[in-house]
This record gives sequence, C-alpha cells and structure tokens, in this order.
Amino acid sequence: MSDPSTNGPAPLDVRPVKKKIWQRLSLVWLVPIFALGISLWAAWQNYADRGTLITISFENAAGITAGETSIRYRDVTIGEVESVEFAPGLSDVLVHARIDQTVAPFLDDDAQFWVVRPDVSVRGITGLDTVLSGVYIEGNWDTEADVAQFDFIGLEEPIMTRANQRGTTVTLRADDGGSISAGAPVLHKGIEVGYLEKPQLSLNGSQVVVTAFIERPYDRRITSSTRFWDTSGFSVSFGTGGVSLNVSSLASVIEGGIAFDTVVSGGQPIADGATFDIFDSEESARDSLFTDPNAEVLRVAVLFEQSVSGLTVGSEVRFQGIRIGEVSDLNAIVVGQGSNADVRLQAVLAVEPSRLGMGSDATVEDALTLLSDFVTRGLRARMVTGNILAGTLFVELVEIEDALPAIMNLTSGDYPVIPTTDSEISDVAATAEGLLSRINALPVEELMDGAIDLMDSFERLANDESTRNAPAALLSLLDESRALIASEDLQAIPNDLRTVINDINGLVSEASETGIITNLDAAIATAAQAAANIEQATQNLPQITADIEALTTRANQLELEALVASATETLNAVDAFLSTDDTIAFPAEANAALSSLRIFLDEVREGGAIENVNDALASASQAASAVEDAVSTLPALSARANDLVTQITTVVNSYGERSRFSAETLSTLRDIQEASDAISSLARTIERNPNSLLIGR
Amino acid sequence: MGSTGQSLGLTTAREAGLVACQRCGQVHPLHTRVCKRCEGRLESRDTESLQKVWAWLIAGMIAYIPANIYPMLLTSTLVERSESTIIGGAVELFDHGSYGIAAIVFIASVMIPVGKFIAIMYLAISVQRHSGANQHERHVAYEVVEFIGRWSMIDVFVVAILSALVQLDTIATVNPGIAAVSFALSVIFTMLSAQAFDSRLIWDVDRTKQQ
Repeated sequence: MSDPSTNGPAPLDVRPVKKKIWQRLSLVWLVPIFALGISLWAAWQNYADRGTLITISFENAAGITAGETSIRYRDVTIGEVESVEFAPGLSDVLVHARIDQTVAPFLDDDAQFWVVRPDVSVRGITGLDTVLSGVYIEGNWDTEADVAQFDFIGLEEPIMTRANQRGTTVTLRADDGGSISAGAPVLHKGIEVGYLEKPQLSLNGSQVVVTAFIERPYDRRITSSTRFWDTSGFSVSFGTGGVSLNVSSLASVIEGGIAFDTVVSGGQPIADGATFDIFDSEESARDSLFTDPNAEVLRVAVLFEQSVSGLTVGSEVRFQGIRIGEVSDLNAIVVGQGSNADVRLQAVLAVEPSRLGMGSDATVEDALTLLSDFVTRGLRARMVTGNILAGTLFVELVEIEDALPAIMNLTSGDYPVIPTTDSEISDVAATAEGLLSRINALPVEELMDGAIDLMDSFERLANDESTRNAPAALLSLLDESRALIASEDLQAIPNDLRTVINDINGLVSEASETGIITNLDAAIATAAQAAANIEQATQNLPQITADIEALTTRANQLELEALVASATETLNAVDAFLSTDDTIAFPAEANAALSSLRIFLDEVREGGAIENVNDALASASQAASAVEDAVSTLPALSARANDLVTQITTVVNSYGERSRFSAETLSTLRDIQEASDAISSLARTIERNPNSLLIGR
Repeated sequence: MGSTGQSLGLTTAREAGLVACQRCGQVHPLHTRVCKRCEGRLESRDTESLQKVWAWLIAGMIAYIPANIYPMLLTSTLVERSESTIIGGAVELFDHGSYGIAAIVFIASVMIPVGKFIAIMYLAISVQRHSGANQHERHVAYEVVEFIGRWSMIDVFVVAILSALVQLDTIATVNPGIAAVSFALSVIFTMLSAQAFDSRLIWDVDRTKQQ
C-alpha cells in the first residue's frame, strides 16, 4: 500500500469535507424529540390535571377504600379518594381525595360531604347500587364559587335538601318531636310537596326545631298566614256527626308528617327560613288562623288563693265568653314578707290585644290601659269549669257588679296583676261522691230483712189453720144470720118499731109543747161550750198525741196473726151466740120489750113524767155549767203541770240521770203524766160523748 | 475468533475498493451509487447509522417510561375495576403462584427491553470509541438483539388478544391501557434502533488502528 505513493502522484486526499454538526444531523432525531415532547407534555398534563387535594374528616370510614371510592356530585364522579388515614390522636378518619380542578373552586364553606350507603326506610330504598359497587362519597354545594376550602367535615347522615334544589326552606317549631322524623313528608291538600330534615332541639332546649323543604312551585302557597299541623298517625274523633277516623298516607302513619294550608288570603310572602309553629291538629291550626302567632301579646298575672288544679298552660282566657288569649305560665310565688308571707298560685295570661276588639294595630300598652280601666270598673278574673267531665278550667274575666274597689297592680311583680273573685268551679266529682256515700249509708240490708220478716209473717198467717178456718166460720155465721133474719119474729120487729116511733113522735110533740126543747137547747149549748174548752185543753197537751202515737205504734206492732185469731174467735163466739136459743128468742124478747116500752110510754104520757123530766133537765143544765167551769180551769191546770214538768226536767238534768233523786223525780213525773193522761182521757170522753154529761155517766 | 480473523489478515470490502449491495449481495466497485442488479442504493458505510441508532434508542427509552408507569390492562368486573402495570401484573402473578407466567411476563416485558437498551447502547458507544475489542462477540450480540427484539411484542399481543376477547359489557371488560401503546412504541423504536445499526462499523476499527 505504500508503494503507489512513491511511484505516482501524491494521492488525492479524498476525505469528505467534514460537515457541520447540524448539517450531519439525521432527520431521525425528530422521532425521539417528538416522543420526548409528547411524554413531557403528557406528564405535565397529568400533573396539571391531577386535581386538587382536599381532606374530609369522618367519624368512621366504613366502606371507603383508597383509590377506589369516588367522590360524586349530582351523581357525576368528580374525584377519587387517594388515601385514608387517622387524624392526630385518632379522633377522626381523614379521607384525602383528589377533586376535579373544574369543580374545586366551588368547594367553599357551604360544601357538604357524606357517605352514601344503602338505606332502607319507609319511603323506599336508596343507595342500592352501593351494595355492589361499594360506597361513594357524595358532595353537595351551590354553584357560586366563593373562597375555596380544602378541609371539610363530613356529615354522618345524608342531607335531604340539595343546594340549588328549587323550593323554600322553612323552620318549624313543635313542643314535642315524637311525631316528627327526618324524611317525613310535608303534605298540602293530601299531596306530598316536601319533606322534613332531621329534627333538632332548639338552643334553649324547650322546643324541637325541624327544617322543612317545600318544593317549587308549591312553596308559593306559603304565606305568613299559613299554618302547619301534625298529621302523623291517625285520629279518631267523636262528634255530633258520629265517629270519624282520619288516616293520612301510610308513610305519615309510620314516619309522621306535617301538613299545611293557607286558608286566609292576604298573608305576606315569606322569606326563606321563615319560622312557623306546628299545631297538634288541623282544627287547632285553623283556629289559630285568626290570630297572628307572632303578634305581641300582653302578659298579665292573676294570683289565685285556691288550687289551680285543672288549669294548664294553654287553658283559654275568656272575656265575655270570647277567647282573648291563653294561660302561658303557671307557678307559685310568695306574696308578702316575714310572717305575712303566703304562697299564691300565679297564672300568667297571654292576652292578644287584637282579640280585645282593639284592631290589629293596637299595641300592648293600649291593651293594658284598657284592661286597667275595666278593672277599676269591676273587672275580675276567676276560674270557671270548662269541661265538667275532664275537670278542666279556664280563666274568665268578668265584670262584677258590686265588686270591692280595686286597681290593677302595675308595679309589683313581673306582670300587672288582675284582682280575682270567687271561682265558679262545679266539682262534679265531689257531688257525685256525696250522693253515692248517702246511698251507701241507706239501711238497705235492714229494710230487706224487715221485708223478708214481713213476708214470712204473711206466709205463716196464710198457712195458719185458724186463718183457713175463718172463711168457713164466716160462711156459717152468714147462714145463721140469714136464718135469723128470715125468722118471722124478726120480720115483725119493723111493725113494732113503727108503732114505737109513732108513740115517741107523739111524746116528742108533746114535749115540744111543754118547753123541753128550749131547755135541751141550753143544755146542748153548755155542752158545746164544754167541748170547746176541752178542745183547748187538748191543744195544750201534746203529750197526749205522742201517747196516742205510741199506742198506735204498739197497736201496729201487735201480731196480726193474733188479731186474726182473736177475730176468728170473736166470730166463732158470735157464731156460737147466734146459734144459742136465747139469740133466736131475742126477736121475741125484743118484741116484748118494745111492747113494754109502748106501755111505759103510754104511762108516761098519762102521768106527769114530763114535768119531772123538765126539772131533771134543768138540774142537768146546772151540772153542765159546773162541769163547764171545772173544764175551763183545765188549760190553766195543764199549763201549770207543763211548767212544773219543765222545771223538774231542768232540775233533773242538773242532777244527772242516774241519781236516785232523779229516779224518784222521774216516777213523780210519770205520775203527773198519768194524771194528765187521765185528764186528757176524760176530756176525750167528754168530747166524744157530750151527752154523758147529761146522762151522768 | 476475532483475534484469529485479525491474524488471518481479513480484508474488508471497503479496503478492497468494493461495495456490496445489502439487498442482493451484488458486489460493485467502490463509489458505485446504484446496484446494477436490483437498483438498490449502494453505500459502503452508513454515515448516519449511529445517529439513527441513538435517536431511535432514545425514543424507545422515552416510550418505555410511561409503559411502566401507566397501567397496561384495565380490567373491570361487576364488583371492581383494577388497573395493572407491567411490573404490577408480574408481581401479582407471582403472588398468585404463577411463577412461570410471571417469569415469562417479567422476562419479555422488562428484562428483554432493558437488555436491548443496554446492548444497543454498548454497541453504539463501542463503535464511537473505535474500540477494537471483542468484535465477534459484539457482532453476535447485535445478531441476538435483532433476533430477539420482536419477541418483546408478546406482551402487546397478550393485551390485544385479551382486549378483543374479554368484552362482556358490565360483567367483565378488559381494555388496553396507555402503557400498551407506549410499550409497543418502545419495542418498535428499539427494533428500528437495532436495525439502524450498521454492523460493518464494528469491523472498521481494526483497520484504522492497524494503519
């Protein structure tokens, strides 16, 4: 190879010109550059798109898996959980998640996150898809980007109302949350127009507050005169129309529910978040429509001295029969100080000025002025029975005509005090109790025993042999009587009697001629006078009446059986008497007696007997006068005896009953009493038979 | 062998003033531009060979990065959705006890591509440095690299077949991930890189050194 260089011309250096480096570059270099470019761009893109890291803290992270659990907003996946860890101190579970950058700016302070899990409730099943796919985290926020936040506190329960859901939120207050549950429906005319959020206690713990969401367009039905009431469960009411059973939707039976209605037009439109009360029933809700629950009320106190049992918070306050408010509070307060201290029961009345007829723009001060005017004119408060059976009371403001002057106490205590008057409480229970105890005290048993005894006696009497014989004896008596009457002798008696009467007639006519009648007249008048005196005496002897009564009682106590027996005996005796020959012979003897009487009369007519009789009558008249005098002293005598008895009774009482003296005195009294009895029986006899004075028997 | 060759006083075609057609093997005098037989372009040496090698190699390596970062397979079943990268898949297979398959996947998807990168880089650097050592070994290495490169596509084929077969809608779905595409690109770039390497450059060094 070195040879040619020595022989020929110097070899040409055909080395190619060294190109500049960029000229020598191959186009192939574009490939890696392109690849690098794409890679870098992809990497940057990936970095830029990887989303904003947010942290949500939960109490527990059941079902949340890093790298799998997605974050969703309106059911669109917007991110994914990157890691799950504990907060320092293990207080919370921190879920770190990447959120789509287009969404991240909207995550401001109103953003809420909760874990969607399967949920089975009365209203249906939700989140069923999470059974297979696993839970996911649902977020909710409005569409206005505010100051973005990166740390959130997750909710334990899903929220009901989504941001931007069209409708109105109202706050409802109830005294009792027993019938309210989260998700319970809000009904309007029977259709579901909204739902309740989770009930919560109010800040002061006195009420239950629940937020209700009313969907558009139904929320336009809500004005300031809308009323909400509880429709949960079912209600049974008795009325004049019979029994009515009201049941709302099945869901509201189980879960409870709230209904609302706007009956009165003219309410003001409400703002979002307005507050309403929940009434117990539709009736009470409608009743309340005529008052504004938010209007100011005048609070006045009434101090009752007696028990206010039956009066409750919410009891009506009536004025002239119209409801003007209700009892808002009941408590006991101490009135006075030191030894004068006394406990009174204070009822605070919430009076609505508009109900006093003062117009809707009346203020509390106006109402107070009006009421104190009324009080000076005699307005008083009292408790009145509202429902007799339930024993409920209400407070009534009445005008008492002759009330003691009083004024409204505006200064002492928390509230102005209206003076009270006697309450009208009809305690039906006490009355009924008294009636029952009186019935209880009746001697029903004794009465029954007596009745049974009486029945027994009757039975024994009826079963008695002699009683059964009585009819037979009566029958035979009647038979014999008939035979007696049928006897010729007896039938002859009338004729004889006629004759005797004729004779007497003649005798009497003769007597009238001789002046006997006049004397008789005087004698009878005297006897009448005596009788009048005796009557007067009788009036002064009430003891007699008592004796008679006692006698009657004793007579009543006599055994009827014995009476009947003796009656039967008497009848038998009569029977025997009638069956004797003497009795049969009686007509004949009577006949003979009449004949002799006739003879005697004839003799009398013939002799001067009339004159003698005249004399006798005159002396009888004198005797009667004497008796009259004696009798006229009788009232005085008995009055004196009475006085004596009274005095002795006093003495006796002072000595005691058991002493010997009193025993003697009592016997003395008994003697005097017997004497009085004798006098009274004499008087009675004279009263009955004044002619005994004449006859001298 | 190389030393034996050297000692035998091997003469390259270029030294003999000849140039061979790489397509049909017809030998032409040096500086002939076009093959008389097949009209192919004649070049004694590819002056841009190394540039191409480096360019394709770098592109291949770049593509290999996402191929390992991003998931190869997206598997969705009724209950879960899983993504597996190349190495992740191999580890998972290994965990499940499929050691053979895990080994195949690991060798085909990791060892071979990485080995190819190293081999090609070694060849390119050694040529640039005009190193005369181990010429025969390097040539064998080059042959192996060219032969084995295509087998790296086995992973891509698996993904392609699975994706085609397992399309049962919601019950189970297999989809290729970004890594499948980048891996395929990486393999293609590496193969191009290996092809761009002009193996004749290995032998030129001797002559220059000897001169």
